[in-house]
Amino acid sequence: MSDVAHEEHVHESTGVETRKLAMWVFLSSEFMFFGALITNYLLFKGRVGYTAPYPAEIFDIPFTSVSSFVLLMSSLTMVLADHAIHRDDQRSTRTWLIATALLGMVFLAGQAYEFTTFVVDEGMKISTNPAASAFFTLTGFHGTHVLVGVIMLLTLVGISFRKGRLSTATGLNLENVALYWHFVDIIWIVIFTVVYLIK
Amino acid sequence: MAGAQTKAHPSPKQYVQIAVLLAVLTAVEVALYYIEEAGVSEIVVYPTLIILAILKFVIVVAFYMHTRYEKGIISRFFTVGFVGALMLYTVVLGTFGVLSAIGG
Repeated sequence: MSDVAHEEHVHESTGVETRKLAMWVFLSSEFMFFGALITNYLLFKGRVGYTAPYPAEIFDIPFTSVSSFVLLMSSLTMVLADHAIHRDDQRSTRTWLIATALLGMVFLAGQAYEFTTFVVDEGMKISTNPAASAFFTLTGFHGTHVLVGVIMLLTLVGISFRKGRLSTATGLNLENVALYWHFVDIIWIVIFTVVYLIK
Repeated sequence: MAGAQTKAHPSPKQYVQIAVLLAVLTAVEVALYYIEEAGVSEIVVYPTLIILAILKFVIVVAFYMHTRYEKGIISRFFTVGFVGALMLYTVVLGTFGVLSAIGG
């Protein structure tokens, strides 16, 4: 194990910094949100009698597998940024943050390409059938979460350039952004299996 | 000010090893998808896919989100949200499944 132990300056009776605890509570509540959307897709994906195509008929598994790999690797770069800031290595922190944001943007570009292919080439719009509607809603909201994460990452990079360093004590906290980013990743792990791989 | 010293986190090398493991698990998942297409029973493939997804989920939460190294209160908050959502939506899916079976 590394000799880097995370020192928390805690004022709260819980022993956990309030911002961090709030982030965990927020992420916990997000399970309800994404759970509803995943359930919605599972309920509608088998409803027959509507206009084709259905999402499962036109998935490009090799392409989505690469997207999943990109998002998984962004979790690695994110945790390396988190590790670097706890060693006060500002240069590495910035580098890993930029790498994470870039990987996030690659994932979003992949999703935009996938949506475009589905709508333009395959003719599956959000109103084509209930399964398509549920699919676009679920993956669209996940993509929105990734976009928010990229914006937070770029904000951290901007702060880092402007102030010369990032602080874990005040302002937008890298550790909380990292938690959010990893959460987006674990939700995609579920979506990739439940929506794409299981027919 | 009370300072709370948490356990030592993994090293960068260990983080990379974890990422390699996650990548391998993803590759196995994709391979299973094609194995099922080739005719292997979904009774074998689908539970395996779910187990692999759970494994990846737990690895990210434990090592990248550091719940393995943090105070228990964090894990408890997270687990309550996850298990609560899982129970609720399992009931919803079960209910609709039962209803469609009766209707069909």
